[in-house]
Parts: sequence; C-alpha cells; structure tokens
Amino acid sequence: MLQFLLSGVAIGSIYGLIGMALAISFYVTRIINFAQGQLMMVTVMITAELASSGHPVWLAAAAGLASSCIIGILSYLIAVRPILLSNRFSFGWLVSTLGFAVIVENAAAYIWGPTSQAFPPILNSISVPIGSAVLTAQQILAIVTAAVLAAGFEIVRRYTLFGKLGMATAADPEMASAIGANTTVVAIVAFAVSAAFAGIAGLLIGPTTFANPYLGDTFGTYGFIAMMIGGGTERPIAAMFGGILLGVCAEGANGLINSQASDWFPFIVLVVILIVSPKGLFSASNPLFRPRRPASASR
Amino acid sequence: MSDQSAPILEINALSAGYGRFDVVRDIGLTVGKGEAVALLGPNGAGKTTVLRAIMGLVKQRRGLIRIGSTDVSNLPTHRIARGLAAIAPEGRRLFLDQSVEDNLLLGALHLRHDRARVERLRNSVYELFPVLESYRHRLSSFLSGGEQQMVAIGRMLMSDPEIMLLDEPSVALSPVAVDIVVKAMLELRKRGASLLLVEQRVDVATRVCDRLYVMAHGEIVEEMTPDIVRSGGMSILNKYLG
Repeated sequence: MLQFLLSGVAIGSIYGLIGMALAISFYVTRIINFAQGQLMMVTVMITAELASSGHPVWLAAAAGLASSCIIGILSYLIAVRPILLSNRFSFGWLVSTLGFAVIVENAAAYIWGPTSQAFPPILNSISVPIGSAVLTAQQILAIVTAAVLAAGFEIVRRYTLFGKLGMATAADPEMASAIGANTTVVAIVAFAVSAAFAGIAGLLIGPTTFANPYLGDTFGTYGFIAMMIGGGTERPIAAMFGGILLGVCAEGANGLINSQASDWFPFIVLVVILIVSPKGLFSASNPLFRPRRPASASR
Repeated sequence: MSDQSAPILEINALSAGYGRFDVVRDIGLTVGKGEAVALLGPNGAGKTTVLRAIMGLVKQRRGLIRIGSTDVSNLPTHRIARGLAAIAPEGRRLFLDQSVEDNLLLGALHLRHDRARVERLRNSVYELFPVLESYRHRLSSFLSGGEQQMVAIGRMLMSDPEIMLLDEPSVALSPVAVDIVVKAMLELRKRGASLLLVEQRVDVATRVCDRLYVMAHGEIVEEMTPDIVRSGGMSILNKYLG
C-alpha cells in the first residue's frame, strides 16, 4: 500500500509539473498549449542525444532545457500570438498549437527515428528503502524538485512585482497594458517558464521512460488531466495537487485492479471529478468552500 | 489657470473606432498644463472612446494625439502608460485578487527602479485618501464602490503621468463618495495635475473643470465654460444630454 502511495506521488509529481506548465501559460494568456507534452519531449531527446555523444549529463540537461524554452517561445510567437492579435476571443489556437505539436513530434521522429534511445540514468540506479516500500533516488528527486518548483512558483507569483504583474495580466490584460505592462513580454516569459517546467519533468522521468519522440502524447494528456482535476485553470499550483492525486490513482489502479488499469482508470477519475467539481478540486484554497466572485468582477 | 500656448494634450482631427466604422469622428480638443477639462454627453456619444484612443486602446485611430511634445498616435498602450497618460477607467477595473497596496504599486510599474519616487507617490495617494492606508493590505474586491474608485484614482496617480484621464469617476457612487471623489480631483488640481474628465453629471464637471466639451453622436458639438453653464447654458446642455 505504501509502495503504491509513494510511487504514485513520484509519478504524480511529474504529471503535476506538466499540468503546472500547461496552467502557467493558460494563466497568463488564457490559451492551452497543446504542444506542452512535446516541449517536454524536446528536453528529453536533446539531453539523450548530447549525453550519448559524450557530453556531461548536466550540460546535456541544460542544453535540453534551453531548447525547450526556445521552442516554447516559438510556439507562442508562431502558433498563439498571430491568432490572438487578429481576434482575442478566437479559438484558432486549439488547432494551431495542436499543429505545432504534430510538427515538433514528427520532426523529432524524423531526426531520431521512432524508437526509444538511451537516456542517462541520473539517480535511477540508487534504491532507497522507506519503511516497507522502496523508491529510487530518481523518484525522490522528482518529488523534491516538484515540491520546490511549485512552492517557488507560488512565492514568485504572490510576493514579487513580476508575479503580481502576471496576476494583473491574467485578470485583465488590457488594463495591465494601460499601467505600462508589455503584455507580449509577460506572455513570452510565461511560455518560457512553462516550457522549463515541462522540460524539468522530462529530465525527471527520462531515466524511466528513455528517450522517445512520442513521449509527449502520453505525458501531455496526463498533464492536461492533472490540470483539469486539480483546477489549475484557476490557480497553477492546483495542477500539482491534481497531478499527485492522478499519480496515486494510476499507480493504485495498476496495483489493485490489473497492470493495464492505469490506461483507463485516470479518465474515469477525471470524469467523476469534473462532474463533482467542474472547476477542479483545488481551484480555491479550501476545496470545500468556494467563495463566489464579487459582483463587480463580472464585466 | 490654463496655459493655451502649450497644451499638455492636443487632439486634432481624431477619428477612432472598432471594426469597420468610426465611433468618434473629427475630434479636436486641447487640455492646457494644470487645466481640467470635461467631456460631457449622453451614453453612446463616444466619450469613453476618446479616452481609450488617447491610451492607445482603440485599434483604429487616425489623426493627431500629442501629449506634451510626444506624438502618441502610433505608440503602443504600454509606452503611453509609462508616464505620459494614465487612466482611471470606466468600471474602475482594479486587479481584484490583489491588495490595495499592490494595485497602487502596479500603477507605478515603469518607476519600479526609483523606489524613493514610488514611496513619495504612494504617500501622496494615502494623503489624498487616508482611508486607503488603513485598508492597504485588504483585497481590493472587498472594498466599497467609493473606496474602489479611490484605488483606481490612486493607481492612476502612481505612474506620475503628464495627463490624467478619468472615466465617469462619479458613476454608481453614493453622494458622500461622489463628494470625496470631487474633492480629490480639486486637490489634484491644486497639486498642478492636468485632467481630462468624462462625465454625465454636469454638476460634477462644473465643480471641477475650467472648460467643458459636449459630445453627441461621436462629435464635439459645443465648447463652454462653467460660468456659461450657470448663466443659462444649461438649456443648451439639456438639449444634448436629454
């Protein structure tokens, strides 16, 4: 039981990071970047490529993260901004970000081939017994990294001027520009940060999944579920809680139902949670008490 | 009080609107340094569109808009907002999930590296509206309408702009709150601020402003002074204001 719980939290931290990545770009621009999973894949592929050609792992990982950030910014400039400029309320980004995802994925499959490549093990070979359960050091690293990043994001959002500006841009982009904010720059930073979150998730899971160009599909979907059940559309950090819940459910289903159950069980969880709580479980700081928005907030 | 030789805001032959047609046409107006000018008119006359055009918030605009010596007609909004013009917009549009103080500090975004100046500006806002200082850590969504309007005016002051644009600051406020807002605008004038005030209430406009423009159907149709309004111009105004 403890084993399911702990490995669920570990994989859930990864889902949560991708969920937060989706939520961060959604928070500022109100669009969902369907290429988020592919941004994670880019980090994994570049890191694997550089590590296997003899570069030190830390350098490979840094280069992988940087590539994800660059492609994340490109996804905003190519697939999102032109659409929002022509019509701020258009849903064209649904198709354009999905198209961007397909292009990135196929480019990766073209470059590296459709099969998995080796990925540096990082800390995957060290086992740590915790009570009756055993985790790899890599899993513990995932949990700790996710906790640090989630807390760090929340601190920046609440207590720094840039975080407050992000909140202002999220709430009312036009008014944010009327106080002197360059909302394009804010959006670019949000997309870069969100690509970095996805990339870090990739570095944490890479040793387990190895480097595969289609990695983005699965993890993008699980990240999306994490965001939806957590309520990341309202508060980015809620996606992390959603991810951990999802991870525990999936691992639990694998262990208690059968070894394929994690393929379908999370979707049932998603449906049930969205029926019970359409905005996600953790969209308000207290899940049982959701204050109505004040009347003056509606325009 | 007005210095007509060097207007702080000069608008000439401005047409602006959304989509295919212009909401306002051929607008010309000036605001002198230290002057307060009102734009009066019924709903839908285009008053708000004039303010939004000055801030660069309207997609299509043609004609000249100059603030001080800067031609802002082709500047993006965030550049105009950095010390040239600032707006207390219609509906106040505070950042409701943030505190009063954070709303004010965000107003001074372009001055963020000059902490002493931000401090001075913030203190001057609290001097103008002492009640805000006691609410500084409260979420702005928890304030009354009058208090929210004070925050909106305060946020506008925080960027230390050349010209301040106020869009119906008296709307939907109690008489007491209207009085506080009017006194605040008079105090701003004493401090030398230049104001362009959009109003539907003639009494508020005549108490605060040196000159009044009347708008109807997207055009400026009259220009008068508060004295003319008091000595019979009211009937002309009533014709337009309905």
